[in-house]
Amino acid sequence: MSAFAAEHAGPTTTSWPRDAQFGTASSGKIGMWIFLVSDALSFAGLLLAYGILRGGATVWRHAGEPALGVNFTAGLTFLLICSSVTMVLGYAAALDGRRREAATWLALTALGGVLFLCGQYQEYFGIWSAGLTKEGLVLGGSAYASTFYVITSFHGAHVFSGVVFILVTLVRWLRGSASAAQVELLGLFWHFVDLIWILVFTFVYLLP
Amino acid sequence: MAHASRRLYIGIFVALAVLTVLEVGLIYLPGIARGPMVTALVGVAIVKASLVGLFFMHLRDETRALKLTVAVPLMTPGLYAVVLVAEAGWRLLP
Repeated sequence: MSAFAAEHAGPTTTSWPRDAQFGTASSGKIGMWIFLVSDALSFAGLLLAYGILRGGATVWRHAGEPALGVNFTAGLTFLLICSSVTMVLGYAAALDGRRREAATWLALTALGGVLFLCGQYQEYFGIWSAGLTKEGLVLGGSAYASTFYVITSFHGAHVFSGVVFILVTLVRWLRGSASAAQVELLGLFWHFVDLIWILVFTFVYLLP
Repeated sequence: MAHASRRLYIGIFVALAVLTVLEVGLIYLPGIARGPMVTALVGVAIVKASLVGLFFMHLRDETRALKLTVAVPLMTPGLYAVVLVAEAGWRLLP
């Protein structure tokens, strides 16, 4: 059996031939890390542009534009942290062969992602109360509004992709066609989404 | 990859939750100048992001080559940010 076939042979196969530089990290894991680094640089570009625009502005938030809801978004941040711990517990269960428990943790992680997206929808457009768009924060209206929507929606697209990734992996896991190594790759992506949000939350919402 | 214990994962989760409460609480504290506030908030965010990367993404268990593959490119935007802040500070000096 080739090394590639061995890696994708089934749920019990998680090892990879030892490499002098990368140890037992699979090609999939190294590839995922390189992708995440490139994705992180995309976010870094957005955040640097935000910093330059904000640092050079004489007035950042214009009259009539609402302040961002820090407390509500802190709740969303806590939700993503919760979903990160459910993901890592799911991976631990997958690694130990506890299949049903792993599936439960993955499902809870997906639920956390969906709730985060609902929270972001509430923040933008309003579900139970007026959203930012109705309160006067309009894309293109100012650098404050545009950087906010571009950065947070780019992150939201990652959350959406992550939820789809989780659900696809969950179905494959339940069918027995996904390995713990593939759950690990999924986990890397999901934790990255959490990690980026930690930075976005600080730079966009908290900095005075 | 070493398989960390559930207790460690829960511990990291609690640390992340406490740090989140800390940073949100920080912005409501009166009397803190903007410079120290920004430094503290960015510091807490970097600690939180590092905890996620090292423990949840298991980067601390990877080889030095993989750690460097990840860390070195991410230092460049950080360095650029430091240069921009330093340049702005220099330009705005009286």
